[in-house]
Amino acid sequence: MTKQTAYEKPIPLKTLDNHEYWDAADRHELKLQKCAECSSFIHPPGPACPTCGSPETEWELLGSDISATVYSYIVSYRPFLPGFQHELPTVITVAALDAAPDVKIMANIIGCDPADVEIGVPLKMTWVDVTDDRALPQWMLARK
Amino acid sequence: MSTYSNQCAIVGVGENQRSRKSGTTPLHMALTAARNALTDAGLEAKDLDGIMNYSTGGDSCPSHELATYLGCHPKYVKDISGGGSSTELLIADAVALIEAGMLETVLIYRSMNGSSGDKVGRGYDPDMLQSMLPGGSFIMPYGSASPTQWFGMFANRHMHETGITKEHLGHVCISFYEHAQRNPNAFLNGKPLDMETYLATPDISMPFNIHDCCVELDEANAIIVTSASNAKNCKSKPVFIAGMAPRTTHSHVHYWTQVDEVAADHAAADLYKSAGVKPEDIQVASIYDCFSWVVMRQLEAYGFAKRGEVGDFVAAGNLKMGGSLPSNTAGGMLSEGYTHGMNNVLELVRQLRHDYKGTDRQVKDCELGISTGWAGPDIAGAMILRN
Ligand SMILES: [Zn+2]
Repeated sequence: MTKQTAYEKPIPLKTLDNHEYWDAADRHELKLQKCAECSSFIHPPGPACPTCGSPETEWELLGSDISATVYSYIVSYRPFLPGFQHELPTVITVAALDAAPDVKIMANIIGCDPADVEIGVPLKMTWVDVTDDRALPQWMLARK
Repeated sequence: MSTYSNQCAIVGVGENQRSRKSGTTPLHMALTAARNALTDAGLEAKDLDGIMNYSTGGDSCPSHELATYLGCHPKYVKDISGGGSSTELLIADAVALIEAGMLETVLIYRSMNGSSGDKVGRGYDPDMLQSMLPGGSFIMPYGSASPTQWFGMFANRHMHETGITKEHLGHVCISFYEHAQRNPNAFLNGKPLDMETYLATPDISMPFNIHDCCVELDEANAIIVTSASNAKNCKSKPVFIAGMAPRTTHSHVHYWTQVDEVAADHAAADLYKSAGVKPEDIQVASIYDCFSWVVMRQLEAYGFAKRGEVGDFVAAGNLKMGGSLPSNTAGGMLSEGYTHGMNNVLELVRQLRHDYKGTDRQVKDCELGISTGWAGPDIAGAMILRN
């Protein structure tokens, strides 16, 4: 075992608009912002609904059993931010939630062979504890 | 056709020497480009009553400062934050101000130490990027900080759906590199590319290898727009602005929940309507080429090839000299140099003036050209020029 080193990658910055999402992520849950007017999900979260412009928004807890499919993805062979040099190549996907296909959650697909990734393959959400009190949602290839 | 159609013209274009390391400032480079454009037009700095500039992250010099050292005091200066499509959008602003009678002659420039200074998408502080980019906190933690990664997300799905292959992307690169071999001012002049080499080059970020990405350099470009009536007094052959169209799409600039449409899809109809022409009338093109795939997607959007047939269109050599749509004939940003699209517009103007007449670089008898700007999938600005 190599010695545990400090997490070097960017840690999501919590803001007025997004902290509900990241607070839920720290508890290993997915929580999405939703428009109270037109019922569209709002992701990434913001001060109003991009679909209808309404400022009336609420939050919906989707829990910890989250499935999705790969909508698109890339395989990156160079690090463009600190920390990623240790885990090349990096797979980054935008995945469509099975429960709400209009919502696409961008994350890495971790622990996979990039050759196994293609558009349409099923994914399962997992949470990686990156510090004592922060966790990052990630995707894993779902077992058939 | 729009009322402004052919009422304004580009009468001067100029650039400075492009390099990897200019050893000078964007102000010095912009002054050289501006003076060259004035000479090209046969105008003096005091003839300029408007100066406009675009920059990314403050990498240029302000218009007011450029005016100071050109030794003039224009009525109006304007500096915007922008990139691809800003050339076309600032030209549209200039046309509107000229048509409104507020201004007569406007200089638009882009100057950047794009190689030795700040590189787009690199070297920024990750927390600054999270705060600065809308939705940044949902992107940066996953390592997505480069345009290769951002646009790759669109490219991979589009290629998957339409059957475009890596080899097709190679045809875009090879076509533009071929043009660069006829252009002594192209950075990759003397460095031709063949398919074997292209396909053997490893990806930086799938589907893009180094050849699929523009050449980041230190350079400056300038364009002078004036009224059609004033164009008669200029030394150069005027190139008229026949039509223009801007467009935005998508809710976020960098977090894309939908990659199946791009702004260019919507700009195209307005563009052709404004100029009163059709895609098949266009004889020469400047297609924004920060990446090879971006060219493919715009060929589809602007109606030069049907969805699903763009790969065959480029493989058949249609972007080359003698093809149905000679494009980026100076080498484009993939092989001439990258000033966020403005250098491609300079070349389009020179083609439409027949500056290369009698050489193998001239698109024979061309009268109508298109320039498509792409700030990203979310912002397009396009124009049609005629001689
Ligand atoms: Zn709404």
